[in-house]
Amino acid sequence: MAATTVAETVPPPPRTALRSRRALVIGLVVAAIVALHAVAWSKTEFSPHALIHGWHGMVDFVSQAWPPDFSWDDVLHPGLNAALVTLCIGLLGTTFSIPFAGALAVMGARTTAPNIVVYQASRSTMSALRAVPDVVFALIFVTAVGLGPFPGVLALMVHNTGVMGKLWSEAIEETDLGPVEALRTNGARGAQVVSHAVLPAVVPQLVGLLLYRFDVNVRASLVLGLVGAGGIGFLINQSIQLFRFDQMLTYILIVLVLIIAVDQLSAFVRRRLA
Amino acid sequence: MAVAVQRDRHPGVEADAPLAIAGLRKSFGERTVLDGIDLTVRRGELVAILGANGSGKSTALRCVVGLATPDAGSIRIEGREVVGAHGDSLVAARRQAAMIFQQIHLVRRRNAIDNVCSGALGRLPLSRSLTPVLFPRELRQEAMACLHRVGLADRAGERVSRLSGGQQQRVAIARALCQRASILLADEPVSALDPAAAEQVFAVLADLARNEHLAVAAVLHQPDLARRHADRLVGLLHGRIAFDAPPSEVSDPQCDALYAPERGAA
Repeated sequence: MAATTVAETVPPPPRTALRSRRALVIGLVVAAIVALHAVAWSKTEFSPHALIHGWHGMVDFVSQAWPPDFSWDDVLHPGLNAALVTLCIGLLGTTFSIPFAGALAVMGARTTAPNIVVYQASRSTMSALRAVPDVVFALIFVTAVGLGPFPGVLALMVHNTGVMGKLWSEAIEETDLGPVEALRTNGARGAQVVSHAVLPAVVPQLVGLLLYRFDVNVRASLVLGLVGAGGIGFLINQSIQLFRFDQMLTYILIVLVLIIAVDQLSAFVRRRLA
Repeated sequence: MAVAVQRDRHPGVEADAPLAIAGLRKSFGERTVLDGIDLTVRRGELVAILGANGSGKSTALRCVVGLATPDAGSIRIEGREVVGAHGDSLVAARRQAAMIFQQIHLVRRRNAIDNVCSGALGRLPLSRSLTPVLFPRELRQEAMACLHRVGLADRAGERVSRLSGGQQQRVAIARALCQRASILLADEPVSALDPAAAEQVFAVLADLARNEHLAVAAVLHQPDLARRHADRLVGLLHGRIAFDAPPSEVSDPQCDALYAPERGAA
């Protein structure tokens, strides 16, 4: 009985069927995405067939690497030392980029930029620093200061300034503007608004992003080792060139432990901050 | 003089009051929000501004503190014209008016006293204000006095996020006091609060008007709360003043008319 009353008095729910124009747009977007993937498939010469036929190549490779060479003096000890260098490159590269990334982030966030010119200049600088891969920066700095971990630190510092600056500026833009508005009305100036309204609200997010970048940079410093910027990446490269895949496997296991440790640490700290 | 002419056209506006608004107009695109508002807030009085959503109440307050720019009209803060003014004199005049927001707008991760101190930023040099550690000792004492004034001296060291909504709004009032403003503007300060907290906040505002001789204007949606605490009720309808009189002279039907459904014609 109640049901019939409802049916009589309540208007029917709006139809959920897609309107034809919207359906057309969605259809076109899906078609475009599929086409793009088809192009990508052919451009990358993607071929499951080749992979299935060449599987024994991989088995050969792995069988040469097994068992890993754990000799202390020749492999494990230098490997651990080099891993420490890799960690240090990532650490300094991240830490030294903080002031530059911070300044660019504040000037490159719509909510805190002093004016449109500074905002655009800051955005462009960060884009340029992101566009040049850290490996290229490493090669450039190697020509200046020679091979070793130092050019690696410089390369990460410069590249990370661009990436972290962008991440930070986005975090700043997402913060609640209320306290900013409140302080502006009582006569506070730009730097005061940043230090008393913006920063206290965003610091937890900024620290989280900083830890994430540290995690990424430790992994990036591995790759930098491949181009001569020291660390365990350099040893991996060397062992491959000498066909010592058993040594290479040891280094990779060390890297695995290092990456997991850094990841666990940063995840732990980020959890505590949240 | 343009200002003198404007004053003559609005005889009810007292130019020497802390806040004197005359002929204020503001449109957002096609929509006229303020259609020639005259409003005076005198020292020592609490004026309650009533009106439906979209009647222009908040916009009027935002024009005073510079969060919105009026299209025409005059706003005089302590005798100084701020519409069309620039530079230091504008900043100095604006600092005389403090705003309290519906969403409170405190920095939630900082403690109450640091938030109150931030009300003084406008008069502090950067070297004494870049972080709370640099705040002068006298400022901290003044901030404690402001917190004491709103009854929260015992919560000074507590993070704002741990205080209740009503307490947070009173910290925001203390921040406005620390600004040393002579005009207190409150934009729906109790809309998010329970009745008891709302009563408490309005008691504080009325007390500050009467005993500290501040000029207080508060926008709110509760006519009964306004009647209990305000010296004057101002009703806004379609961007114009519908009434401006002491509570005893405003009838309930007059108040109800502000919120009547037919107002939707605008």
